[in-house]
Amino acid sequence: MKRFFALALACGFLVIGGQSLAHTPLFACFDNADGTIFCEGGFSDGSSAAGVPIIVKNGAGKVIFRGELSRTSDIEFNKPEGEYSVLFDGGEEHSIEIPGSQIFK
Amino acid sequence: MNRGLLLAGLLTLFLSAPALAHFQMLYTPQSALEQGGELHLKLIFTHPFKCDHIMDMAPVQEFYMVHQRGEEGKPQKTDLKEFLKEITWRGLGDAAGKAFEAVLPARVVRSIGDYVFVLVPGPYYEKADEGYIQQFTKMIVNVGGVPGNWHQPLGLPAEIVPLNKPYANWTGGIFRGVVMSNGKPVPNAEVDVEYLNFDVNMAANAFEGEAKIKAPHPAFETITVLANAWGEFAVSLPKAGWWGIAVPDVVELKHEGKSMVQEAVLWIQVTDLP
Repeated sequence: MKRFFALALACGFLVIGGQSLAHTPLFACFDNADGTIFCEGGFSDGSSAAGVPIIVKNGAGKVIFRGELSRTSDIEFNKPEGEYSVLFDGGEEHSIEIPGSQIFK
Repeated sequence: MNRGLLLAGLLTLFLSAPALAHFQMLYTPQSALEQGGELHLKLIFTHPFKCDHIMDMAPVQEFYMVHQRGEEGKPQKTDLKEFLKEITWRGLGDAAGKAFEAVLPARVVRSIGDYVFVLVPGPYYEKADEGYIQQFTKMIVNVGGVPGNWHQPLGLPAEIVPLNKPYANWTGGIFRGVVMSNGKPVPNAEVDVEYLNFDVNMAANAFEGEAKIKAPHPAFETITVLANAWGEFAVSLPKAGWWGIAVPDVVELKHEGKSMVQEAVLWIQVTDLP
């Protein structure tokens, strides 16, 4: 019986681990053309990205804005001057960085 | 054998056969998009395997999309009738008929997620059947890979609800769906499947080129499968391109003193392995 539970726990860990690896983070940002940037995130399995930290850095790599995705997995912030990038900080293997030069209207 | 009776029977078969192959198209070149942007749609009533008839579409009753980002997102319905423009669509030979196009601005299809497009054309009078046909047509686009509401029923009078993502099918795969009417499964429905067998020229508003598949027998032009007691069906997808799935005669009612059938159509796109 003990061996059964040990096997079940091991299988359960593998399933959960598999699920967490199976979803891919997805992130997109748009220039609203009114001085603001709109970003939205999600995962390829449809799960929510609410609460994922969003970090905006300037061209020198200095953090100029920190926030997190809302309950609807999106965020809006003022468009920085000059070069910048937006990081979807989903943790190891789940982070995406978009350069400002690739954010269009 | 009464030769007159035989002739009448053959004539009835000949006249009624094309009605089975009517498919309302709701077409865009690519349904799995990496990013949003301006989206071009063509609305054509045709026989997609032969493209030899273009039926004049009646004025559109409803044309809208339901967008949802993520499984937990809220579906948002947007009316799209303001973007419709009447066009003439040319089929093979001299075939031509009234159709519609829509150019959706980038702001409408910008966010990531699923976009379920729904077209409810006005009833089309089919002379051969002395009755009207109305096909509730769905086509689903995804932007960015985040899924949403592709599998959610909309409660249409006649509807195919996908059990596979309609925009993510490999050649050789299986597509499954459920035939529904007002949100409830329709048992044992007939399901007709046709391949869009010619190229679509978006700029010229025309079908063109050579047939991609030569059918060895008429039964291969429209593949027919039957749904089970729960309305579920499965079809194989042997070739890349667009496949139309239609369920005839889901609802029978009257329209302007004539019989009318309400039917369901779903378009799915199949992609070759790289």
